[in-house]
Amino acid sequence: MSLFRNLGSGLRSLFRKEQANRELDEELGEYLDMAADEKMQQGMNRQAALRAVRLERGSLDGAKEIVRSGGWESVVDTLWRDLLFAARMLRKSPGFTAVAVLTLALGIGANTAIFSLLNAALLRNLPVNNPKELVLLGTGRGQGSTGGVDDVLYSYRFYEELAKRNQVFSETSAMMSVLFGGMHGRVEGSASLEPMNVQLVSGTYFSMLGVEPVLGREFTKLDDEPLGAHAIAVISYSWWTRRFARDPAAIGKTIAIGPTLYTIVGVTSGSFSGTTVGESPDVWIPLSMQKQVSPGWNGLEDRWWDSLYIMARLKPGVSVAQAEAGINVLAKAIWRDFAGPVIPLHRQRNIDEAWIPLTSAARGLSELRAYSLPLQILMVVVALVLLIACANIANLLLARSANRQREIAVRTAVGAGPARVFRQLLTESLLLACLGGVLGLLFASWASGAILAWISAGPEPLPLNIAPDGRLLAFTFLISLVTALLFGTLPALRSMHVNLTDAFKSGRGATALGVRSRFSSALIVSQVALSFVLLIGAGLFLRTLVNLTRVNRGFDEKEVLLFSMDPSALGYKLDSRLVNLYQQLEQRVAAEPGVRADSVSLSTFNQGSWRTPVSVLGATPNAGDNPHVVHNAVGAGYFATMGIPLLIGRNFGPQDAATSPKVAVINETMARLYFPGGSPIGRRFGIESDPAHAADFEVIGVVKDAKYESLDERPQPGAYYLYSQVLEHFYYDFEVRYSGDPHAIIAEVRSAAASVDPSLPLVYQGALSEQVDRSVASQSLTARLSAFFGFLAVFLASIGIYGLMSYGVARRTNEIGIRVALGAPRSRVFWMILRDGLLFASTGLALGVPIALAAGRLVSGMLFSTKPADPATMLVAATVLIVLNVTAGYLPARRAMRVDPIVALRYE
Amino acid sequence: MPDKSSDVVQGTLDMLVLKTLALEPMHGYGISVRIEQMSQGVFRPNAGSLFLAIQRLEREGLIDGEWKATENNRRARYYVLTKKGRQRLSSETREWGRQAAAIARILEAS
Repeated sequence: MSLFRNLGSGLRSLFRKEQANRELDEELGEYLDMAADEKMQQGMNRQAALRAVRLERGSLDGAKEIVRSGGWESVVDTLWRDLLFAARMLRKSPGFTAVAVLTLALGIGANTAIFSLLNAALLRNLPVNNPKELVLLGTGRGQGSTGGVDDVLYSYRFYEELAKRNQVFSETSAMMSVLFGGMHGRVEGSASLEPMNVQLVSGTYFSMLGVEPVLGREFTKLDDEPLGAHAIAVISYSWWTRRFARDPAAIGKTIAIGPTLYTIVGVTSGSFSGTTVGESPDVWIPLSMQKQVSPGWNGLEDRWWDSLYIMARLKPGVSVAQAEAGINVLAKAIWRDFAGPVIPLHRQRNIDEAWIPLTSAARGLSELRAYSLPLQILMVVVALVLLIACANIANLLLARSANRQREIAVRTAVGAGPARVFRQLLTESLLLACLGGVLGLLFASWASGAILAWISAGPEPLPLNIAPDGRLLAFTFLISLVTALLFGTLPALRSMHVNLTDAFKSGRGATALGVRSRFSSALIVSQVALSFVLLIGAGLFLRTLVNLTRVNRGFDEKEVLLFSMDPSALGYKLDSRLVNLYQQLEQRVAAEPGVRADSVSLSTFNQGSWRTPVSVLGATPNAGDNPHVVHNAVGAGYFATMGIPLLIGRNFGPQDAATSPKVAVINETMARLYFPGGSPIGRRFGIESDPAHAADFEVIGVVKDAKYESLDERPQPGAYYLYSQVLEHFYYDFEVRYSGDPHAIIAEVRSAAASVDPSLPLVYQGALSEQVDRSVASQSLTARLSAFFGFLAVFLASIGIYGLMSYGVARRTNEIGIRVALGAPRSRVFWMILRDGLLFASTGLALGVPIALAAGRLVSGMLFSTKPADPATMLVAATVLIVLNVTAGYLPARRAMRVDPIVALRYE
Repeated sequence: MPDKSSDVVQGTLDMLVLKTLALEPMHGYGISVRIEQMSQGVFRPNAGSLFLAIQRLEREGLIDGEWKATENNRRARYYVLTKKGRQRLSSETREWGRQAAAIARILEAS
């Protein structure tokens, strides 16, 4: 009540200032009259009475001022007037304003852009009900399928038991850990297959999240049972928009995937795009349809076929620690039940040692975790750039305040206190920073889109929501504010205490120049030091990138094109018809002119891998700390296509048919680790550690090591099999080595594929070299952006040096004139000025070296074949810095050298 | 002689204004004179502090102001205690009495 009254009265005096002033005047006037009347009754004349009252009760103007500034509205009023004045002052010096605002926009924009990516990838909560209650069982690191006991992936039977028996979750749901990206289906009424991302989820998925459909219905618990009986689909809002133009008639249409028709029953809400940030499912299908959607890779009824993530909502009042304890007791009980009455020793040990941590799923799972460290480092980098920008503007403001001393002196002389002057100057800084912030926000919205497109794998940008939200706007506003305080406070403090007598003397006296330049010099030196640190960082990241691109891959990525296909969508089964399709495709394409080799395979490079332990016939493999072998299923032409040389033995040949004895080609590292001493040719091993299978494959050849997952991996044991002999999955990859024009080859490959099966969708995935480049996208992003910001920092520091030295030369024109008049050679004047610039650069360097060494140690984990204290990088960075700084100092020095003593002295 | 413009004890002017108005509605000058009389000349509030206190009290809703004619046919702003102001006065008076007694006890102990 009194708050409203206060507000009302304050607003009234703010907006109806005239009336409020009049009333106060009248009231005080009345007061004065009454007091004077009394005095006059005691015999004074009016004049004397008024004077006496003033003496006793204080001056009326003073009283008015006290009352007026007592309310809160006076603060707003002054602030507004300060703002208007600040705007006028900035308009009066457009050059200064433009430079300052642009510098700030660049600095704030860079910070906002990087932060918006960090925000979207790592900080934003999922758009679901109470995201903080959501937990993921385990760490979520890893996807695919495993067998046994682990803390990442779980079997469907395990999920069912857990959902039934747990006491801590209000609802539990499961999803396939792998999104079926690039699956092909045919929408009712359309003639052709089209690619779509399919996600399999349990019936409880949407209700657990609390995501409402905008149209139709979502899945329910009833869609989990019985298996294979729920051919329905929920589609995403964005796919509904793209594919159906938001036509409500999409409900009820069918999508054919393989031989099964799925009826669309609902559309999810617009803000929801799955629980994995950076992935965007188009279609959700009940998990109970796993066998139909993925005929070659499934196992809902297998207790140990672990391929699911389990996500759950905590019961109200249950803490994560309580839930974790309960779930682990339960999980061990379930695993023991699964293992049966006699548990093998190794499994018993696995169960005893297992511990499932509960991870918060409030922000969802993220495919972008790989970018988390680079983004954090870039965040520090752009913050430093902003700091350097602040130092520049602080210097500009200092130079400006030296020129404004007279104005400030006048303000002080007419009664403005130091606090008032300080507030006025800080308001100007705030205005500058806010202008920079607004411009920076625009700059950032462009830049973050550009960075996102850069790190996205395909032509489509990663589905990441980088639209500004409240957090982002608050961030930008906050850094603008902090920026203003950083660059505005010291110059404003310095101008607060103006020596009136000095300021009113005309001419260019040496007022406070000493103090100012000492302070400015400190700013410049720290700018140089910081930009040196940034340059070193950029150098290290660039070297890492170069080292990565030069690392020996073991395959030749030049002149290889990648395609993908999805025969399962055409109803192929895992039988000889599929093998026939693959072989025909290989033969037809190989017959095309310009094609040198081709092969179907499970994977090529950086596409995830099939890795298991192996058993060796007649030996116990001791592979040390690397107990997994990376497997690949390939065609006979794979090694020729990838350019992997054969060392000993033979390649796969026509004699190796689907039904003949199973053979394998292994790499050097596998030969060394698993078959030490003697030739591995003719030896036998089996996939998985079960000794019963140890005789499955005979080694027929050894090839050179290659990189499988990433360029910076250590050599891994690897084994290759013929796809016809390990036809347990559909194989989607098809690669072609060619010579000549790739565009012609792509067309040829497509038409050859169509001649094998006209309905086979063959999708061009780009060149193998692009695949390799993408695998270092995160390093490339770090290197290029830090190089850009490093140069920006040096550039800003150079501008700072240039500005300070030009100012110094202008101030010292007199002195230089006298020196020249007394006979100092011009070259000495030149060196006198340039020496200052060199001094800045070398002091900055000396300070920067230890900081760079310390900072280098922090990022050493991100470096590849480079040490944080790399002398070559240091040398290059120092050279770049000195050259740019000396160039910045050269111009003012030359100006000093050309000072005409007569002109200089006459001017004074 | 104590400096009369050194005003009242910090923070007590509001209470004194409330007390004055508890007797009858009054204008600014009247309040000032009444405080001076009741304190037998010890307190003579200066115009700035007085009107600032009045503005503050009015915004807090403890007093209400209204333009009225004076006995000499002039116009002046008269202030009257609200219900809330009366409650505040009695609570502040109690608190003041407690504190003053306590301070007196401390000062008398030797």
